[in-house]
Amino acid sequence: MTYFAAKNRINGSKTYVVGFVLGLLALITLPIIVHFNDYILQVFTHALLLASLALAWNLLGVSGSISLGHAAFFGVGAYASALLSLEQGLSPWLTIPIAGLFATGLGLIIGLICLRLRGAYFALATLAFVEIPRVITDNWDALTKGSLGLVGISGLPTLRMGDWHVDFGSSITASYYLVFVYSFVLLGLVTFVFRSNMGLALQAIREEEIAAESVGIHVNRYRLLSLLMSAFFTGVSGACYAHLVRYIEPGLVYGLHFSAIPMIFAICGGRFTILGPAVAALVLYPVDQFIFHPLLPAGHEFLYGGVLILTVLFMPNGFWGKLRNAS
Amino acid sequence: MILLQLKSLNKTFNNFCALSNIDFSVSEGEIVGLVGPNGAGKTTLFNLICGRYRPSSGNILFKDIDITDFKPHAICRLGISRTFQSSRPFPRMSTLQNVLVGHIFGKGFSLHTRPEDSDMARELLEIVGIDHKADTPAGQLTLSEQRRLDLARALATRPKLLLLDEVAAGFSPVLVKQAIELINRVRERGVSLLIIDHFLNLSLKVSDRLLALDHGEKIAEGPPHMVMRNRDVLQAYLGLRHQDEND
Repeated sequence: MTYFAAKNRINGSKTYVVGFVLGLLALITLPIIVHFNDYILQVFTHALLLASLALAWNLLGVSGSISLGHAAFFGVGAYASALLSLEQGLSPWLTIPIAGLFATGLGLIIGLICLRLRGAYFALATLAFVEIPRVITDNWDALTKGSLGLVGISGLPTLRMGDWHVDFGSSITASYYLVFVYSFVLLGLVTFVFRSNMGLALQAIREEEIAAESVGIHVNRYRLLSLLMSAFFTGVSGACYAHLVRYIEPGLVYGLHFSAIPMIFAICGGRFTILGPAVAALVLYPVDQFIFHPLLPAGHEFLYGGVLILTVLFMPNGFWGKLRNAS
Repeated sequence: MILLQLKSLNKTFNNFCALSNIDFSVSEGEIVGLVGPNGAGKTTLFNLICGRYRPSSGNILFKDIDITDFKPHAICRLGISRTFQSSRPFPRMSTLQNVLVGHIFGKGFSLHTRPEDSDMARELLEIVGIDHKADTPAGQLTLSEQRRLDLARALATRPKLLLLDEVAAGFSPVLVKQAIELINRVRERGVSLLIIDHFLNLSLKVSDRLLALDHGEKIAEGPPHMVMRNRDVLQAYLGLRHQDEND
């Protein structure tokens, strides 16, 4: 039922391990399977990026806080990295983590102001908070070029080791692998956090906050810490997005899309699971792009709304949580 | 030696005086019963001691440290732990994990759970008699089991002073007898207790001393049989008419 209660069962379950390894192999060999088809690889690169967003969102989600404003971190990360590389000529290797720090800074401000709120009040406050960086970006023409957006952002960087080098920006296959590695590393980190005692504290806070503080858990410190981690990785994902797409504008990166989509994936996949949010992203986004988009070019995103309603009604623990209970 | 000391403690909510001028102390190793009718301020007093509420005036000293302005988690780490009137388990976590949380965070923090932590938690579940439910989600326990879990989780924080809020309310005579045994076992571990007992089915049998509250004021204090014969206490519990008939 919960992640922790099911932990032993997962470790003991061969189906789970086999499924995980098979999924991983499929992702690694995907470029070969699809004969290096650019369009399919592009969709899966984006799906992996959304998976990283959902994983990052769930770092906060596990503590019980629902954020409707993660686009703030995403947008700040995207703009910070794009501007630092465009204006200062810094390598994206440097600007992407710095962008994460910018997002963390914003997370600190939002956290100190909003974390005293709970439940729906917190969610609404975060929803409103997105407007602040968006309006600033939109109007600070001298720095951000306002609503024109930024074009010509450098592509994903090149990795050099002596004579050997990979240019992640040169081909879609290369960027696919970079985003894959990033998402995988983030998955490892989320696993570590959830299984550490910090994960135990976050879970206790979600389950019953008053009891949590009365057994010695510094509630506000843990909630802030989980928000900061979540903001950092959302910012990093935003930065990756900027260098991947190489064009950003305020309406896009601060849009409701990037606030809602990680939440939808996390809830559909299972907020109380580690893998669920990532699996949901890797399943739903390709389904949306390959099946619903050709059918309904204007309203294909209704898929997300529909799946969200069905999940909340019939599988409150998400489909990953449900699958795991059944096994 | 005095463990907990309350000095002219006041608490008002929007002009409503919930507690006024409470002076009281608990010594090391003592079991004190806190009695009084509904709305007397018993649970409010607990919430003040545990840091959930700030007193409007007055001081709370624990082991000679002024904890009046301390946060709940800090007070827990100093050595005061509590149970709740209606128990508050972590419902989707296993019973064992509920206790584990108390053990891990009650005195500080370590990043990973060690095997001996689990052993300790299991031992506590055994003491309160729900070790056979260790892997059940706490939300699926019966009410009486949840109360025991609350107690085990509070003990897991290794308190010097344990506050029990209506731990035996609604218990059958058999369960009350078990609860009394349990409280004596807790005392043997060197823990002092402050027990809220509205229905008096527990505190008369285990307490060294009673504190009676009514309308936020201390109306009596002393050995149980003395307090229970006190005129104000009888009046608070049974009303004036009964008093007059007896007189």
